[in-house]
Amino acid sequence: MGRLQGKYEFMLRRFLGFLRSLLKNGKSIVGLILISAFLVVAFGASLFTPYTPIGEDPLDRLAPAASNVPPAWLRSLPTWLGGNPALSENMIIVQNPGSPRMIADGGEFKLETANPNLSVAPSDISYPYPLPLGYKRYGGEGSLSVTYTRKDGTTGGEVKAVIFKEFDFPYNGPPSSFYATISLQVNGSTTVSGVLPVDKLEVPVKVNVFLGLIDGRKWPIWPPVENIFYDVRIPRGFTKDKLTGAPGPIERPLFGATVFDNVTGTFIDSGWITSVKNELSTISSTSQQLVNPKSVFTFPNDPASIVFSSTPGSYAYGVEIVFVDTGSTEDVSTTVIIDDFGLMLKGTSFGLLGASHRGWDLFAQLLYGSRISLYLGISVAVFSVAIGLVVGLAAGYFGRIVDEVLMRTTDVLLVLPGLPLLIVLIAILGASIDNLIILLGLLGWMGFARMVRSQVLSIRERSYVEAAKAIGAGQFHIVIHHILPSVMSLVYISLATSVPGAVTAEAALSWLGFYDPMRMSWGRMLNEAVVEAGAITSWWWILPPGLCISLLAASFILVGYALDEVLNPKLRLRR
Amino acid sequence: MGLRSFILKRIVYSFVLILLVILLNFIIFKSMPGDPVQFLMKPWGREGAEVRQQQEQLLRDLWGFGEPFEVQAVKYVRNLLTWNFGTSYIEKRPVTESIGLRLPYTLVLLGGSAILSILLGVIIGIMVIQKRGTVVDSGAVTGSLVLGSLPTFWLGLVFLLFFYNILRWFPNKGAFPDAWALGWPVAYTVSSSYTSTSLSSVFSLNMVSAWTLVAGYLRHLFLPMLTLTVFSIGGWILLTRATMLDAITEDYIVTARAKGLTERAVLFRHALKNASLPIITSAALSFGFILSGAIITETVFTYPGLGAWTWTAIQFLDYTVLMAIFYIVSICVIAANIVADLLYGIIDPRIKYG
Repeated sequence: MGRLQGKYEFMLRRFLGFLRSLLKNGKSIVGLILISAFLVVAFGASLFTPYTPIGEDPLDRLAPAASNVPPAWLRSLPTWLGGNPALSENMIIVQNPGSPRMIADGGEFKLETANPNLSVAPSDISYPYPLPLGYKRYGGEGSLSVTYTRKDGTTGGEVKAVIFKEFDFPYNGPPSSFYATISLQVNGSTTVSGVLPVDKLEVPVKVNVFLGLIDGRKWPIWPPVENIFYDVRIPRGFTKDKLTGAPGPIERPLFGATVFDNVTGTFIDSGWITSVKNELSTISSTSQQLVNPKSVFTFPNDPASIVFSSTPGSYAYGVEIVFVDTGSTEDVSTTVIIDDFGLMLKGTSFGLLGASHRGWDLFAQLLYGSRISLYLGISVAVFSVAIGLVVGLAAGYFGRIVDEVLMRTTDVLLVLPGLPLLIVLIAILGASIDNLIILLGLLGWMGFARMVRSQVLSIRERSYVEAAKAIGAGQFHIVIHHILPSVMSLVYISLATSVPGAVTAEAALSWLGFYDPMRMSWGRMLNEAVVEAGAITSWWWILPPGLCISLLAASFILVGYALDEVLNPKLRLRR
Repeated sequence: MGLRSFILKRIVYSFVLILLVILLNFIIFKSMPGDPVQFLMKPWGREGAEVRQQQEQLLRDLWGFGEPFEVQAVKYVRNLLTWNFGTSYIEKRPVTESIGLRLPYTLVLLGGSAILSILLGVIIGIMVIQKRGTVVDSGAVTGSLVLGSLPTFWLGLVFLLFFYNILRWFPNKGAFPDAWALGWPVAYTVSSSYTSTSLSSVFSLNMVSAWTLVAGYLRHLFLPMLTLTVFSIGGWILLTRATMLDAITEDYIVTARAKGLTERAVLFRHALKNASLPIITSAALSFGFILSGAIITETVFTYPGLGAWTWTAIQFLDYTVLMAIFYIVSICVIAANIVADLLYGIIDPRIKYG
């Protein structure tokens, strides 16, 4: 027991001595600090940014920013340094879209003109219909119900309820695009007496979602054709109670830019009401479904810049609901439930490093990219050093036919052009991160194996190995206890110095397009910047990933160089 | 063992290595996905299934894909050994011809940058050695390490960003201006006139268009060459510094200093000569890889050399081209190894072969 303890104490003391001499070396301090910083970033990436690098979650498919926008801090930079004061940032206009409330009820919406027959109240009902695939429902319970009730036997004509939110737009330039949502459910009842056309809601409803200046033009953003209200007068298929066949409550679900196609009798959903920059902007940009001819904006090119004509300025976002009370003299009541009533503006700038061509946060991509580089770099280093160690030990110690076979294999792999071979093999096997690690490991051990072999060749002839053989030690014992310890310094150095090669090889392959589609890496960022987005001038996109690759590679090289100086004292004497 | 038997042994050994490379080449490309015959077939053919099958069979026989594996392998080895690389079924042109078209660009680009980086690297390395142990020294070492670890494609992108997109000093792609495709600058004319008794021809050089020609090529060469040079210069600085450090601890340097020679003479005449051995052999080895081209750099700058060609071949899975490139590059590397070994003996007579 005591002997074992002494052994451990000796090992610990030796390790501390090694650490002390390593920390005396300036290069290794710089390298170790950089590596630890990258490790912290890799493990704590989600702590440093709320955004995800790519939209893995289909429920979260809406990217946080507009596509291809520069960093937000360019707004406060002087123009001669490349700054642009006209940039705007993301704004969330409606704070609580999941449960819209009037100001009187502690919410944020206003009613424009009061009418004795109108009542606006918070409701417990949440919009019950499924949203189009890929759209997350806002959190929050309840909704806002707008009820029109009339009992006195005379028709009230068209009664308009305008519910809106006022907001200030503080930036000097228009936003890149706006994203509005609304879910409406129309629920009406009529006291039926006599023969009535039963496929009618007695007080039909027309709706119109608008956005515009408070003291200026308000643009109807949905329905998409200017000055045309969305008409829910003919709710085909919703008219009769399914069970009794009698006229019952009529329900009409609407979500976002839901357009009812009169020809086929189906709904065309596009989820968000968005502004798309186009000659003839179409509404259905996000879910790419059929576009109803009606849903074509009359805005000429950039809806967001036309709506936000005055910057900065005060704007209003809201919905006009017209109850068309002209048909019947019976007592009538129609309720419109408003839910998911939201608006957000995507700015022309975003975050610390801007956003990618799909609108994902580049800073998040940069942070998460360190994970893949570190994981791959370290795995490849361990893998290739292990192969090289085994091959080198076997070739050096056993010699003869083993040596010949192993060294000729090494030679063949060394003379083949490395990168083309790697690309061809990746093209065959598919570009997943595990394939990449295996291939880089299998193609990266040759130089190290040669080093180990030559070291073993000289150690094999040392007298202490001879002595061990003479007392009858087994081959395995000799290799493990007498030869391995003397090549361990090579192992440590090679572990550190083979990380950079793997990291840059991964980056190069990703840059050429062989990346794991489920993960974001630094090389893939550059590939997307140059190949997919053609944004070579977006220096905020091009420079950071390359700098990170170089820093990570350099930090491991510095540590390897320092290890070399510490573990091979001959080098130290010479300066 | 004498020099002759050493060379003989090396040649036999190299031949075995080449055979192994050919075999590996064959196995790799045979296991690649996709059937080239399907690629050669017209996908829009309106013929019936039977006709299509016949077509497929004919193509298979024509290109030799229908033969048994071992027959294909033997034919393949024979063809490569006789320098018959066949016809690319993407480009529909003999591979040797395509290589001839692209070789000059790659040779100039990679050869030029190799020479440049070796010369500059050695000079800077010697300058660093004169300041050894100072901040300059450790700064140069760190700088070289960092330069060597930069990803080449990113370096190229950054150069493009600054020199093309911002400064507009250099073009961003190709090896010569696009406008030349319509009309090449005429650098010289040879006008002949003859009568029944005499023949005279006048060679006239147009200096302006000659300069245009040279300047056009150089402007396009600059950025890729800069990228490659910056990338590889660090290694040469480090190598020079390390070998010189080895050399200056030797006794003859002490003697030279004691004789009162200047530091310059000591370094260049005594130290560098002895330190040059590893530098020269690594230079020989690095020239061996020239033909593989710089896939990444040539792709970034769309430079029409062998590297960019390799990348296109990989994208279209052009087996014939890739096999030829792998084979030729391997042979060059093997040859460079032999040359390096021989150079060792010529420069340093103390070295014994065996």
